[in-house]
Amino acid sequence: MRDNPDGKAQARRRFLGTLGFAAVAAPAAAFEADGGTGGLPPRKETEAERRAPRYRETDHVRAFYRTNRY
Amino acid sequence: MARLKFLCDSDRCIECNACVTACKNEHEVPWGINRRRVVTLNDGKPGERSISMACMHCTDAPCAAVCPTSCFYGTADALVLHDKDLCIGCGYCFYACPFGAPQYPRVGNFGGRGKMDKCTYCAGGPQQDNTAVEYMQYGSNRIAEGKLPLCAEMCSTKALLAGDGEIIAAIYRERVQQRGFGSGAWGWRTAYKQELTV
Repeated sequence: MRDNPDGKAQARRRFLGTLGFAAVAAPAAAFEADGGTGGLPPRKETEAERRAPRYRETDHVRAFYRTNRY
Repeated sequence: MARLKFLCDSDRCIECNACVTACKNEHEVPWGINRRRVVTLNDGKPGERSISMACMHCTDAPCAAVCPTSCFYGTADALVLHDKDLCIGCGYCFYACPFGAPQYPRVGNFGGRGKMDKCTYCAGGPQQDNTAVEYMQYGSNRIAEGKLPLCAEMCSTKALLAGDGEIIAAIYRERVQQRGFGSGAWGWRTAYKQELTV
């Protein structure tokens, strides 16, 4: 006879359930090969936001410039 | 206003393909698409040269000129981005681009193509910055995080420069002044004989 068979079975089901959820959820978080949104609703920028400058000269960027002078 | 550019110092590029790998990993670019690749001329011969190529974010971009759905747009800092929701996968931009930057995923049998994908200069797309939906369509948005494209930041020999065009041009000029015209500390003439004819 096995010790506490119900507890083991439940633990196994929980593990397999988590594994199955991860298998379904993981591709949803990845880059969509076909260019789609993966079912997520679009959150579009306005026309002005699209054209706005995106570059900022942060400390990180300045460090890149400094180290590339060597 | 900064004009964002890539500059590849071909005297330093050693064809390690770290830029290609960094790009694919950062954006989780699927099989069959390379937003960046390394082109080598005279491979294995004296005078071999490699250069890392991606979208050059042209000022008067030919891809934008031929797009029938006008899915391309330029930002104030001179990036050429595109809206995948408008792209119909026609392939005109692929024929127009002199650098082969636009790429198409194979989404089905019989050569069916998906929406065009290309280098975004790690600046995402028209979806709101750093949202899950932006990541799914365009990949990571490092520019919004105050960083530069990972391909350039990853380059071990500092061959690939990215950022404000004036600053990286000044860096390149300093290098050339220091090492002289030609390969200087890198390349065939240093590794072998000075009198080697290339």
